[in-house]
Amino acid sequence: MVFKYTPAPMGGSSSNGNLVEFDHVKKAFGANVVLDDINLDIRNGEAIVIAGPSGSGKSTMLRCINGLETIDSGDLRFDGRSVAKAGKGIYQLRANMGMVFQSFNLFPHKTVLDNITLGPTEVKGLSEQEAKERATSLLERVGIPEKADSYPADLSGGQQQRVAIARALAMEPKLMLFDEPTSALDPEMIREVLDVMRDLAKSGMTMVVVTHEMGFAREVCDRIVFIDEGKIVEEGPPDEFFTNAQSQRAKDFVDKILHH
Amino acid sequence: MGEFWEVFQRHLPEFRSGFYITCRLVAMSFVIAMGVGTIIAAFRVAPARALQRIGTVYVEFFRNIPLLVLIFIFFFGFPEVFNIGPWVAGTLALGLYTSAYIAETLRSGVFAVGKGQIDASLSLGFTYRQTLQKVVLPQSFRTVIPPLGNLIIAMIKNSAILGASALAIPDLLKTGRITAALTANAHASFFWAALGYLILTVTATFIVRHLEKRLAIRR
Ligand SMILES: Nc1ncnc2c1ncn2[C@@H]1O[C@H](COP(=O)(O)OP(=O)(O)OP(=O)(O)O)[C@@H](O)[C@H]1O
Ligand SMILES: [Mg+2]
Repeated sequence: MVFKYTPAPMGGSSSNGNLVEFDHVKKAFGANVVLDDINLDIRNGEAIVIAGPSGSGKSTMLRCINGLETIDSGDLRFDGRSVAKAGKGIYQLRANMGMVFQSFNLFPHKTVLDNITLGPTEVKGLSEQEAKERATSLLERVGIPEKADSYPADLSGGQQQRVAIARALAMEPKLMLFDEPTSALDPEMIREVLDVMRDLAKSGMTMVVVTHEMGFAREVCDRIVFIDEGKIVEEGPPDEFFTNAQSQRAKDFVDKILHH
Repeated sequence: MGEFWEVFQRHLPEFRSGFYITCRLVAMSFVIAMGVGTIIAAFRVAPARALQRIGTVYVEFFRNIPLLVLIFIFFFGFPEVFNIGPWVAGTLALGLYTSAYIAETLRSGVFAVGKGQIDASLSLGFTYRQTLQKVVLPQSFRTVIPPLGNLIIAMIKNSAILGASALAIPDLLKTGRITAALTANAHASFFWAALGYLILTVTATFIVRHLEKRLAIRR
């Protein structure tokens, strides 16, 4: 027996063009305040990079967006609907956003193709055939159609991450979340993953990317959000951020990254 | 050696039927043990506290009572509740007893599945139940195939307790006893019964090894 929901029409995001809205979001782990009054609107079609030192709350921000972490106060809306108050509706919200992890997290007991078709068949009710066609064309899009029948363990890190991106895209999400997608990769594989992400951004996908790849940030994203100790310290277009950061903390961060 | 062979030839039909009955006992208990064990394992790792508690009570109950006592409970105990024949009583006792161990083994396999797998599954919009069904349990099964195999082999051997108890099921052991009484040759009778169990356990070992190889998760 497989649980399937009937897709309901999504909320009214079009009214203000925001796909994600952080509204005074607070989140603590015990006494450790990790997100401290975050306010941030992410527009439809926008690609933003979240940057900040280790432990500043970047991963937690992403995980709150798809409800993998719950927020303590404030509100967080995706596509006009509250993630915090979604209840069982959270599954449907998640089905409409993809997430890509630093450690790939492919399902090791399934082939590449089955990794990609599992979500569409189980959650979106696609037939095996439809899902397979979609998976095949996505594998072509990420450049590894020949790996359909391989197992994740037989793929390089870069290939695994591209499969992970394909798996997320197979759900036809409105939003893609990337949590340091290239941090676990050897240098020569970083590029192949960033290329896929660049194409995705160009195609108009709304993306929230946590990354230390400042070249990517500069070239691809519309806005950089710099957070430190759970607060948004600075945000703006990448050029401005790199050449003309306002706060000392952001300046130090840029210095450290660019002269590393 | 000659008399061993003679006992075997003379009582081949009984041994064959005893072997067949033990196979059936094992097969039925296996189905019960795996089915119930999986459900109880799912209870034990469920987010709901109440389910966890039911799972814990179940496991502790069936693990901490001797199998023979369980058999007697099912067969003799509360006849108005368990109005069941020896076959059902026997396989239920053996199956449920083994299921408690299988549940614990599967549970350890569940915890061996990385948190990242659960994150990935939930991020696709899977419910907890789908996550367990499609992502976590299939991987757990694969990692615990060797200990599960040991449990199955223990269950095959434990099935002899059914033959030795009051159930009057003519399994391999019981056949050995009857033959021993008829022929006055206990050595030969129990030798052939033992060989029957050995065939079953060695076959089970072989199947487990094969499954282990075929289903191994390459990392
Ligand atoms: N599940 C959790 N339980 C308790 N504390 C947590 C948990 N997850 C994160 N934290 C804490 O929250 C803080 C922010 O963590 P987070 O992972 O969001 O940081 P990050 O900016 O992604 O860091 P990094 O660059 O190292 O990935 C850290 O102090 C971390 O120890
Ligand atoms: Mg992080």
